[in-house]
Amino acid sequence: MSRRYDARTTIFSPEGRLYQVEYAMEAISHASTALGILAKDGLVIAAEKKVASKLLDETKGGEKIYIINDNMICGVAGITSDANILINYVQTAAQQYLYTYNEDMPCEQLVQKLCDLKQGYTQYGGLRPFGVSFVYGGWDEHHGFQLYHSDPSGNYSGWKATCIGANTASAQGILRQEYKEEGVTLQEAKNLAIKVLSKTMDTTSLGSDKIEFATLELVDGKVVRRIFNQSEIEALLKENNLLTKTEEAK
Amino acid sequence: MEYNGGAVVAMVGKNCVAIACDKRLGVQAMTISTEFKKTFQVTPKTYIGLPGLATDVQTLAEKFRFKVNMYKLKEEREIEPRTLAHLVSSTLYERRWGPWFVEPVVAGLDKENRPFICSTDLIGCINFAKDFVVSGTTSNQLYGMCESLWEPDLEPEDLFETISQALMNAVDRDCLSGWGAEVTIITPDKIITRTLKSRQD
Repeated sequence: MSRRYDARTTIFSPEGRLYQVEYAMEAISHASTALGILAKDGLVIAAEKKVASKLLDETKGGEKIYIINDNMICGVAGITSDANILINYVQTAAQQYLYTYNEDMPCEQLVQKLCDLKQGYTQYGGLRPFGVSFVYGGWDEHHGFQLYHSDPSGNYSGWKATCIGANTASAQGILRQEYKEEGVTLQEAKNLAIKVLSKTMDTTSLGSDKIEFATLELVDGKVVRRIFNQSEIEALLKENNLLTKTEEAK
Repeated sequence: MEYNGGAVVAMVGKNCVAIACDKRLGVQAMTISTEFKKTFQVTPKTYIGLPGLATDVQTLAEKFRFKVNMYKLKEEREIEPRTLAHLVSSTLYERRWGPWFVEPVVAGLDKENRPFICSTDLIGCINFAKDFVVSGTTSNQLYGMCESLWEPDLEPEDLFETISQALMNAVDRDCLSGWGAEVTIITPDKIITRTLKSRQD
């Protein structure tokens, strides 16, 4: 039955579904995991990198976590080339807002801008939707720290903890159990993030070269963004007793 | 270009650069603000000075902030002064037939901490100077002052004195500039900005 209605993005199926959008989400469920956790005094975004080959020449920093502006970062899951287009769009949109209003773009507005673009590809143009989901983490002075998640349909929502990509069912389950209702500190959030990542990663050996990790926090009233380098990730793994034997032997 | 008034000067010293501007904003003869600075920090080691029509000064400062922020996100490094000079030049030439009424000055240290200064005209012609660059309604007076006061390899403190004297005395011969000045010295370890009190007329 579904065969007839999946070729075009711009038509509904008889059951009221948009197949192209669902297929896009299917593509994302095969991508490596990215998750975000909101803390009382900051937030964490962590992601699993696709298998790194030693032949890969890593010039550009990171394929999973990106900087949008001074106040926002985001994690990506899905088709990386689609993600690059969207990241470029949202970076430009943030600068355009700064140019017009001389103020940093509020987090939710930025998410909405990107979601409006994604929605367009599900309603007109005849082009396929973007095969990317995002988890955004940012701070603005009106709403403090915020975490959002958007998907190829252009839908978004705010979260205290969320994840995208592969194994989200199990990751979300662990987050639901472990996240404290009254809120967590940044340190607890970092530990929880690394713990959840380790449980959902396919590979048996957890290495610092397979993880991307970033935090946002307020220091002296200013937003400070930290993109962890390999040794810092290793230290975090060690703190949480997650280093495998091969790492410890080094 | 002679509606709001203003003066900017930049000089090269020994492993440092200095950039200075006046603080007057006027509407022809009437002064309406004495806190209108025309220099803007672009990166930790580069400044840009924008004298000319005040609305264009503000707009271009914001435009360059936009472009430099995008540059930093894409290139994952700070923009070099020489590159910024070309960015300024292309931005101005885009409006060749309806130009921005500013004549910018770029001053900074490159990644090897070598001093760099230059100025451009309102449609983007770059003047790469080794000694000093001047711009604004007081440019003729500044040329005279700099030519006589400047010497090569001045230490940061001496460069500060030299550029301050050059600016202060030049703007005293220009009714559209003055009302205070701000001088910024850029060295490899730090940037010092000082405000000068001058003749308030």
